[in-house]
Formats: sequence, structure tokens, C-alpha cells
Amino acid sequence: MIKHFAGALAVAGTFAAFGAYALDVDPALKEYKKTSGVEGSLKSVGSDTLNNVMTLWAESFNKEYPNVKVEIEGKGSGTAPPALISGAAQFAPMSRPMKAGEIDDFEKKYGYKPTGIRVAVDALAVFVNKDNPIKCLSFAQADAIFSKTRLMGGKEDIKTWSQVGVTGEWANKPISMYGRNSASGTYGYFKEVVMENGDFKDSVKEQAGSSAVVQAIASDKFAIGYSGVGYKTADVKAIEIKAKDNGTCYDGSPENAYKGDYPITRFLYVYMNRKPGAPMEPLRNEFVKFIFSKQGQTGVLKDGYYPIPSAIAFQDLKATGVE
Amino acid sequence: MMSAMTETVAAPADTVPMSQSAGRRTDLRSRGEPALWSLGGALAIGVVMILGFLVLVFSNGVATFIPKPLTVVTAIDGTVTAGEPFRSELYKPTPEEIATLTPDWQERIKAENGYASRTLYRMGNFDIYGEDFRWVPDFAVAKFEQPKNLLFFERMEWGAFVGTVKSFKIDGVDQAFAGLGDPKFTKVHADSRERAEAIRNIERGDIGAINHALDVERLALRKIELSAGRNSAEFKAAQDRLNSVSGDLQKRYDALTAEVQKLRAANAGNTLTLAEIGGREKTIEFSYLVRAYAANDMNLAQTLGVYFSRWWEFLSAEPREANTEGGVFPAIFGTAAMTLLMVIVVAPFGVLTALYLREYAKQGRLVSFVRISVNNLAGVPSIVYGVFGLGFFAYMLGGSIDSLFYPERLPNPTFGTGGLLWAALTLALLTVPVVIVATEEALAAVPRSTREGSLACGASKWQTIRYIVLPRAMPGVMTGVILAMARGAGEVAPLMLVGVVKLAPQLPVDGIFPFVHLERSFMHLGFHIFDVGFQSRNAEAGKPMVFVTTVLLIALVTLVNATAIIVRSRLKKRFAGSQF
Repeated sequence: MIKHFAGALAVAGTFAAFGAYALDVDPALKEYKKTSGVEGSLKSVGSDTLNNVMTLWAESFNKEYPNVKVEIEGKGSGTAPPALISGAAQFAPMSRPMKAGEIDDFEKKYGYKPTGIRVAVDALAVFVNKDNPIKCLSFAQADAIFSKTRLMGGKEDIKTWSQVGVTGEWANKPISMYGRNSASGTYGYFKEVVMENGDFKDSVKEQAGSSAVVQAIASDKFAIGYSGVGYKTADVKAIEIKAKDNGTCYDGSPENAYKGDYPITRFLYVYMNRKPGAPMEPLRNEFVKFIFSKQGQTGVLKDGYYPIPSAIAFQDLKATGVE
Repeated sequence: MMSAMTETVAAPADTVPMSQSAGRRTDLRSRGEPALWSLGGALAIGVVMILGFLVLVFSNGVATFIPKPLTVVTAIDGTVTAGEPFRSELYKPTPEEIATLTPDWQERIKAENGYASRTLYRMGNFDIYGEDFRWVPDFAVAKFEQPKNLLFFERMEWGAFVGTVKSFKIDGVDQAFAGLGDPKFTKVHADSRERAEAIRNIERGDIGAINHALDVERLALRKIELSAGRNSAEFKAAQDRLNSVSGDLQKRYDALTAEVQKLRAANAGNTLTLAEIGGREKTIEFSYLVRAYAANDMNLAQTLGVYFSRWWEFLSAEPREANTEGGVFPAIFGTAAMTLLMVIVVAPFGVLTALYLREYAKQGRLVSFVRISVNNLAGVPSIVYGVFGLGFFAYMLGGSIDSLFYPERLPNPTFGTGGLLWAALTLALLTVPVVIVATEEALAAVPRSTREGSLACGASKWQTIRYIVLPRAMPGVMTGVILAMARGAGEVAPLMLVGVVKLAPQLPVDGIFPFVHLERSFMHLGFHIFDVGFQSRNAEAGKPMVFVTTVLLIALVTLVNATAIIVRSRLKKRFAGSQF
């Protein structure tokens, strides 16, 4: 998956590096222009990570087409495929790619595969309390903190902060872990990439939403947890991550995320039910166009995620037959 | 009493020791004082807890919309932070951090046992900074200022902006800025907002009607296609009709879009260039400015003006920016509509069931079993009702309705997904035991003599129930309905499965036939609280909104209950003198 991400960005070509604060949407993206004949209802069911981005898109889209009925639901990526398959939603936002089993279920009913587009870039952040002096964790260390199987090769179970080199007040305090529930794509992604599909410890406190994870860490001084970078607040600190124990630490800044240096960078997806070769109806067509427009990617920025490079946007627009 | 007791104990004569001690205990208990104390204590604890909760919610909720002063903090290292002080806390700086401080501060921190204080500032300007809150420790501060020219802007997008007005343009012409009270400034702002509102009305109302008309024709065509096939004469006729209708509609549509374009162009000339404290600029249209105020230079009237205009916006507007700003009107409407619909369903069903159980059914094992089942229903976790509602109402009932009546819309579900009707039915199911139990109690409390009197006068059983028993039981029935409403309005868990969504700005009632759209998803205050508190991007900014929305929900439930209680007390008064 890591390779997949770096590869995709390599295809995208060089993407201008941005300063930490001056992050902006790719200037090559098109301005969205309103057309006529768009109506109906737009229903989205799926990822909690993308919940607010979807809402922002829907709000702006609704401003262009006030008669489009908009309904957004976001309880976890796991709820997206069933909703797409049953027809309860036209858009299924997911924070991980669909699993083979989910694609099979879809194919069984419709005879073709669902179409996924990459709509935003997320540097999945590992958060600690803002006062925690820790700087960096490797995958093996994070694995030894969160997992009971330690498939990343950590030698010992990490239970207290001193085991990852934190001194002072933290040293002898047990680490208190927060994570997402199993319907979440963030949960699945963390499990796959950081834990090599090992099992979470039973003591990881599962939260129903990304924001709930951040709030728990804000009020628990000895906590650690993971969620999308968009949910960062002033009360938590995102720590640097390295894939290998002897590697370099990278923070989840936009530059590191785009270059693929930050090892838990991922795409966020929106899946649709589209018969290959057939055009989609105007509503979905325009919404996809909107997602990949300047206005759409500004919504991504507003929610704290990183916008998609134009090359990937054009690729996915072509793949969905929108342009 | 006391002396009597000592006397019995003192008298050794012919009383058995056993009964003596028993007598003593009975006496103590009969005085009832331990019971009185524990009852009073329990009440006191309950009242304190409820009051504490209400004070917490209301103090936070009511204070949220008060405009707060803006502070400019210049740090020793030169960074400047401008914003509203949000909250302060004590914390322990690390030894390395302390080592960099002046000896004076090191002493002070030592004197406080290693604690220093810091303040969280709400800076706004998220589009420029990429963060909107920042902690500033007291020891890092070189100076505080509260400049009078620093302004607070609320925008339609990107949230708050803290800074100053650099310049503004009316119809593309530069103007000199002479304060927020400048009539030229207020006028161009009001005009732009009015035009934005006009654009919205045209798009929602007129263009909405056109689109709806088109949609109706298109669905009619699809229906004919499904029933008669693509090659039939009816299909051809319908297609021609669609073409002619859409030609007409297109003309009207073009005229309206031209009008909207004109308004848009007029608004585009009125822009405002803002500068944040570091000098970086941002230009927005006046129509995107919700309100602006000079936070450090306001009199009481202005402060109250901002406060109440914020409340009005909260109550009457649609949510913006993924529910973190703007208002909650669709949620208020959704909550009220769903609760009303639920009462319409639950009251007759509950009362009829109770009437049958109490008045007609032969009291035996079967009825006892039914009664036990009803009581147990009240103990089933609400989420189970949600699952049932989704599976039975939405998927089974709704799915069949769709395939029978709305085949032209498939695969998009109409009733085959969560919606207002299914949510109300699910909650009705959840609250029906309350109504049944309360009604049964109320029926049982009607004296037998009253019924017998009525029967003796020659009234039939139904006449007795209708004219004698039911009216007298009405206050009790109302109590059940009130309890059901309160429970229903505050319930969230099952609703998340059967129709409540994060964003659904279209109300379930509007001007398009059939006016009430029971199939639509809706917003709900309880879910809104959950969403803003636990799912918004910035949990920090969401917290105050959680309290405000909670205040609103409590107020709404109180209002509904108060109305019902007034109705009940009227009913009670009517029968006050008529008891034997």
C-alpha cells in the first residue's frame, strides 16, 4: 500500500512542494462551472474520516444546485460497500481501498466492479498529548504499543513511556491507547500498514469517531492514538514517524506526504456504481467534476487534509468517463 | 412517646424480653425519622445533580454567543498571536523549557511548584494559518494589547477572520474605510446580503419549481417506458410532451439564470480586503461576510446586538461549514416534525391497546402474558428498535412500497431507506409501552361506582367507556403521552439507523406537491449534538456549539412538555368536582 501510494504520486509527476502554511490547491485544476439539468438526490454513506469533507462538498454543490437533495451519513468505511450495493447511496466515501471481498459482493449483484476515485490525500497522524515530549516513533515501536502480536518485529511489549525513551513525568506512566472501531477504514489502514495485519491489544480504547479519538487524547496526558490529520487540534501533537528503526523520521507535513516520505500517507476514496462504458447521469457526473475542481479541493483544504495533485485528478476523471 | 418507651423497658413485671425488644424497634421505625432523612437526602442529591447539570449546560450555552475581546499577544521571540482568549490552564513546563527562561521567571515557576500557566487563543484565519487555535504560555509573552481597530469578522466560508479592513470596493471603485459604522460600509454590506438572499430564493424557489416539473415529466416517461415499453405509442406521445415541456421550461430557466447572473455580477464588484495581524491579505465579497464587529470597542448595546443576532442566526439559518457554523433550523424542524408524527401514531395505538386490555379482554393468563411482554418491551435497548426499524420498516415495507409505487425511480430508493416516517414509527414502537402502561393505570383508577352508575342508567359498555371512563382517565393518558414525547425527542441511537443524517437542508415540508415528504431523511438536534461534539473537524471549536444545541434541545423538550402539562391540568380541573 505504501508502494502503491508512492507509485501513484510518481505517475502524477512532480508536484510543487508547498510551505507549511501556504498549502493551496493545484493551480492546474479547473474552476467548476455550473451546468443545467442537474437534479435529484445525492446520498452518501460511508467513511467517518471523509464525513466532513463530503459535507463541505455537498454544501458547496448545493449552493450551485439548490434543488439537489443532499443527504450525508458517515459511520465508518465498513458501512460504505453495503450501502453502495443495496443502492441506498450513490456515493460511498472510504478511507481505505475496497477489499477484494467487498468488490466481489458488488460484482455478484451488478456484474461489474465498482469505480473508485482518489479524492484527497491524508497523512494519517499518530497523536499524543500536546505536552508529551516524544518526537518520533518507528513502525515497530508503534506496533509494539498497539499490537499484541508484534508482527513488525518489536522485541518486547511496550507498556510504559520510558520504553520509547520518554523521560520525566511520563517515564513510569503506562501508555493509554486510543483507536477507532472496526467499521472504520482508518482502523483497517493502521492495522494493515503499521501492524502487518496483527491484532490490536484488548486495552486499546475504541472510539466511534476520529474527533472522539483526538478529544480523548487531549484530556488524557499519557495517551496515544491515531486518526486523520484533518482532526488535529491545539491540544494534541502529531509525532514524526519512520518506517524502519534505522530510517529517518518524517512529520506529516504536506511536502513529506506528497513526496511519499511520510510512511503512513494514504489516499481517501469515493466509490460509485458505474457501468463501464456507460455515462453516469448528470448529477453524479457533475459531482465528480466538482470534487476535482478548484472549489472541491478547497473543501479538502478546509477540512485539514491535503488536496489531490492535478495529474491524479485528471487520471481519475478519465477513468470515470467524466471527461 | 419516649417516656412511654422507657417505662415499658423499666417495667420488669410480666412482659417477655422478646416482645420488649420488638416493641422498641417498632417504635423507632414508626417515628419514621431514619426514613425521612434518607428520603430527604435522596431528594437533595437528585436536585443537586440536576441543578448542577443545568447550570453547567446553561452557563456554557448562554455565554457562547457573547462577543469576547480580542487580544494581541507578542511573544518574546517575536511571534504575534491575535485572537479571543479561549481558556487557560496550569501545566508543567519541561526542564529544558525552563532552562531557556529568565531567572525571574524560573523563580516564579519554582515558587508555583513547577507549574506555569498558559492560555489558548482562538485565532481564526484558518485559510491563512492552517491552524485556528494556539496555546501561548505566560512566560513567553512580551506584551498584551487590545487594539481598538482590531476587528472580528464572521464569514460564510473558512470561519472567523481576525484582523483589520485594508480597503473595500463598491462596484469596483475603491472607498476609504471609516469604521464599521460608516453608512457606506453598512449599506453595501446589507445590499450584498440582500442580493445573495434574492439569488438563493430564485434558485431554491423558482428554479426549484422548474427542475421539479422537469423531474415529474421525466419520471412519468420512465413509468410509461416500464409499463408499455419503449416502442409503444404512449411512450412516443409522452416523449413529445416531455420535449415540448422542457423547451418551455428551458426558456424560463434561462431567463431566471440571467437574472441570477446579473445579481451575482453586482455582488462581485463589492469586495472587502482584510489584513490579518501579520499583514497578509484576503479579499472576500461582501455577500460572504456574515457580520463584523470591533470586539474591543463596543458599547453594551452593540454587544447585545451581536449576541442576539448570533442567536437569531443559530435558530433560523441552515448549518454551514460541515455543521460547525450557521444555524440549526433544519434540525429544530426535523426534531419537532418527528416528535409530532410519533405522537400522532403512538397515542391512538397505545390508548386503544390499553382500553382493550383493561376493559374488554378477559383477565387471564394470556392477558398477563401480554402485559408482561409490554413491560419488557420498555426495557429493550433502543438501538434494537433502530435495527428493527431499518430491517422491517425501511428495507421490507419501504422496499415493497418502492417496487409497487415508485418503480420509475429505482434503483434510487424512495421509501426503501431511512426517512421521517420510518423514524417516527420506530420511535412510536419504542414509546408505546409507556403509553399503554400509563393508560391502563389511569383506566384502573376510575372508580367502579362511576362505571356502575353509568351502566345502571342504561348506557352500553362502549357509551360508558366513551363518555364516562375515558374523559376521567384523560389526565393519566396525557401523562403517558408526555413521557413518551420526552423520551422520543431525546432519543438518538435508533434514529441514526432509520433516517437521521448529518446534513439534510431540505425540510420534510415544503411548497412542492404533496407538501409533506415523509420519505425524506432529516436532521435532529440530538444527533446534531453528537455530530458537532464528536465528528467535527475541530473538536475545540465544536464544544461551545454542543452546549448551545443542548440548551436548545432542553428548551424544546420543556416547551413541548409544558404545553402538554397545561392541557392536562385543564382536563383535571374539569373533573375536579365531579368525583364521588
